[in-house]
Amino acid sequence: MEEQKERRSWLTSVAQVFSREFKMVLRDEAVIIFFIVLSLVYPPLYSLIYNTETVHNEPVVVVDDSRSALSREFTRKLDATSSVWIKDHATNMEQARDMMARKQCYGIVYFPDDFERSIHQGEHGHVTLYCDMSVMMRYKAMLTALTDVQMEMCTQLQGDKTAHIINMSGGIVESKQVPLGNTAMGIASAVLPFILVFVLQQGMIMGISMLHAGSMGRRRRNQGIDRYEVRALPGATILGRTIAHLVFYVIPVVFALYIIPLIFKFPVNGNLLEILIMAFPFLMASSFFGQAVRVFVNNREGVFLIIAFTSVYFVFLVGASWPQFLMAPYWKTLASIIPGYWGATAYIRMQVMGASLAQVDNLFGAMWVLAAVWFVIAYLIELLVLRPRYRAMQLKAELDPDALRKQVLYEQGDDDLLNPEILHEE
Amino acid sequence: MLRIIVDSIIRGWKQLARRPIYVCMMVIVPLVSAWFFFDLMETGVVERTPVGMVDLDKSDLSRKLTRNLNSLQQVSIDKTYATYNEAIDAVQRGEIYGFFFIPSDFSRKALSNQKPTLSYYINYAYYAPASMQYKGFKTLTVLANAGIVQNVLTTLGMRGEQISATLQPILTHVHPLKNPWLSYNYYLSASFVPCLLALLVMLITCFSIGMEWHAGTSRNWMRTAGNSITLATFTKLFPHTFIFLCVGLWIQYMMYVNYGFPLNCNPWHMISAMALLIVACQGFALFICSLVPNFRYSTTICTLLGMLSFSFCGFSLPEEAMYSWVAPIGYLMPIKYYFLIYADQALNGLDLYYSRYYYVALILYAVLPFTMLWKLKRHCIHPFYIP
Repeated sequence: MEEQKERRSWLTSVAQVFSREFKMVLRDEAVIIFFIVLSLVYPPLYSLIYNTETVHNEPVVVVDDSRSALSREFTRKLDATSSVWIKDHATNMEQARDMMARKQCYGIVYFPDDFERSIHQGEHGHVTLYCDMSVMMRYKAMLTALTDVQMEMCTQLQGDKTAHIINMSGGIVESKQVPLGNTAMGIASAVLPFILVFVLQQGMIMGISMLHAGSMGRRRRNQGIDRYEVRALPGATILGRTIAHLVFYVIPVVFALYIIPLIFKFPVNGNLLEILIMAFPFLMASSFFGQAVRVFVNNREGVFLIIAFTSVYFVFLVGASWPQFLMAPYWKTLASIIPGYWGATAYIRMQVMGASLAQVDNLFGAMWVLAAVWFVIAYLIELLVLRPRYRAMQLKAELDPDALRKQVLYEQGDDDLLNPEILHEE
Repeated sequence: MLRIIVDSIIRGWKQLARRPIYVCMMVIVPLVSAWFFFDLMETGVVERTPVGMVDLDKSDLSRKLTRNLNSLQQVSIDKTYATYNEAIDAVQRGEIYGFFFIPSDFSRKALSNQKPTLSYYINYAYYAPASMQYKGFKTLTVLANAGIVQNVLTTLGMRGEQISATLQPILTHVHPLKNPWLSYNYYLSASFVPCLLALLVMLITCFSIGMEWHAGTSRNWMRTAGNSITLATFTKLFPHTFIFLCVGLWIQYMMYVNYGFPLNCNPWHMISAMALLIVACQGFALFICSLVPNFRYSTTICTLLGMLSFSFCGFSLPEEAMYSWVAPIGYLMPIKYYFLIYADQALNGLDLYYSRYYYVALILYAVLPFTMLWKLKRHCIHPFYIP
C-alpha cells in the first residue's frame, strides 16, 4: 500500500515536470528555434549548398604541341564529357600555368609533339594531365573524364587491329558498376543523411542547454532560486523533461528524416514507421545526453560557443568523410558514446541502403543501452553536481544578498564595481 | 591617459583569466581539434576497404580474379557470399562496403566468344571508400582483359612493347600537383582546422562583447577605457589576438612540421596569413556585433555563417560546382581568403603576386568594424539586454 502510494507520487511528479518543461519550451523563443525551427531551416540550407551533387564542366586548358587530328579528337571528346570543360588553348605550358595560377582553370592537359606520330608508329602516345589539388573533387572529376576518353580512344584505335585477336581469345570481359543506395553517386546524397541526424541531436542538446542556462540566470538574479523549478526526485525530473522534449520532436523528426530527402531527391529507401521507431531511442538518448552536457553551460549565449562547433567532430567521427574502419580505436570508442553516431549509422542503413529495422537490430539495441547509460550519467550529474551547485548558490546568497551579482562582476573584471554603492546603482 | 590604457588592458586580461570558458575555448579546444583532425586521418589514403565477393561461377578463372582482387591496395575481401541476396544483406548491415559479383555463366561465356559481364556493387553512402572501391574494381577488370589479350598476342609472336602499345595506344600520366600521395589529410585538414579556428575566434569575440551587455557591465567597460570605443575594443580584443595567434601558429607548426603538410612557400607567407585571418575574423565579428548590437542575434549570425563556412567556402564541393548564387556567399567569410592563400602559397607555391588580393581582403576585414563602432558605443552606453 505504502509502496503503491509512493509510486503514484513519483509518477505524479514526472507528470508535473513534464507539463512545466513543456510550458518552459513554449515560452522560450530561443528553445523553439533550436527544437523546431533549426530542424526545418538548416537541412534545406545545407541541401541547397550541396544540391548540385557532382562536379560539372570543370575548366581545363589544353596545351597541344602535337596539333594533330588525334590530339584534336581527344580534346573534343574530353570537352564532351560532363565533368570537364575545355575552356581554352594555351600556346605553351608557361602560359597555361599562369592561367591556372589565376584560377581561370584547375587543370592542364598536355599533348607532346610526337603524340600522333608515336601512335601511328605502333608506340604509346602520351597525354599528361596536371591538376590543382586544393579540392579533391576537382581531381576526381578530371581523372574520371580523362580515363574515360582514353579508354574510348584506345578501343577505337585498336579497332580493326585487335578485333580478330580478341575474338580468337574468347571474348573480352565487360564490367559494370552498380551504385547502391546513393544511386546518383553525389556528394549531397552521401553527406546530408549524416547531417540530418546530427541537426536533430544538436538542436536537442542546444535547446536543453538553453533551458538550463535560463534557469541559471533566474537563480543568479533571484538568490539562487528558480521559481519555475518543480520539486521532484532527480530521476523523475530527467524523465519528465525527456518526455516533453520527445513531444516537441515529433514534427522535426518526420520533416528532417523523411520530408527533406523527398524534397531534395536524396535516397528514400526506408519505411517511415520503422525509421520513427528507430529514432525513438536515439532521441531519448540525445535528451539524456543533453541533460548531462548542459552542466557546462551557464549562460544562454554560451550555448553557441560551447556546443555548436562540436557538430563538426561528430560528423567526422561517424565516418561521413573519413571511413570508420581506418580510425584509431580511441576515436571509435569516442564515437560510440554519441547518440548521433548510432542514430546516423542506423538511419543511413535504413533510408539510404534500404535495410529493415530487423537488419539494424544491433544498432537499435545499442541505442537503448546508450540511452540507459546517458540516463545514469544525467542522473548522477543532477544529483551530485547540479543540485549541490544550486544549494551552494542559495547558501552564498543567504550570507550576502549581493554575492551572486558580485560573482558576475568579478568575472567581468569589474572589481571597482564591487563597491556596494556602485553595485546598487548598476 | 596612460592610466586609462593600463586599467583597460588589465580589465581585459582579468576577464580572460577569471572565466575558464576562455582558456578552454581559445587554447584547449583549437589545439585538441587540430590534433583530432590530423590524427584521425593520419594514414591519408583510404585503403583496404572491406568488400565481399560473390562467385557463382567457381571456375579457375573466377578464383584467379578473386586472388588478383585481394592483391590490390584499395580493397580487402573480407568475406565471400553464396548469393547476391546474402551480399546485399551484408551491405545493409554494414559488414562490407560493396561486393564483386561474378555471374554463374562467366567462364562459359568467356570461353565461347560471348562477352561476360562482371559487376561491382558499391555502397555510395560512404563517399571516400566508394571511390576507392571503384578504382580497385575497375583496375581489376582492365587487368583481366589485358591478361586475356596478352596471352593471345604472345602466342602470335609479338614482343612485350608492341603488345602494350597495341592494347593501349594512348597512355595517360596524371600529376596531382604537390599532393602526389593523394592524401586526404593534407587536403581536408588544411581547410577544416583553420575554419574551426576562425569559427572560434568569431564566437569568442561575440561572446566577450555580448557578456558586457548581458552582465550589465558595458558602461563600466566604456568608462574604464575613458569612453573611447576604439580603446575599449582594442584593449579587450588585443589579448584575444595574442592568444589566438600563439594557438594558430602552434597549429601551423603541428601541420607543417610534425605532420609534414606541404609547405611550398616562404613560411612567413602562411604565418602572416594566420595573423591576418585572426584579426579579420575578429573584425568580422566585431562588425556584426556593432551592426546588430544584440547578444543573441549577433552570436546566432556568427555561428550560422561560421558553421556554414565549412560547406559554402568550397572545401569539399568546389565553388565552380555550386549554384552560381551560392558560391559568392563563400567570399563573405574571411576563412575563404585564408583558404585561397593556403592553396596558392603553401600548396602550389605560387608567386605572392597571385595571392595579393586575398591578403588585402583579410586586411579590409580587420578595418571594416571601424565604420560601425559608433553604433556599438551607443549601445554600450545605453544598453538593453533581451534575455
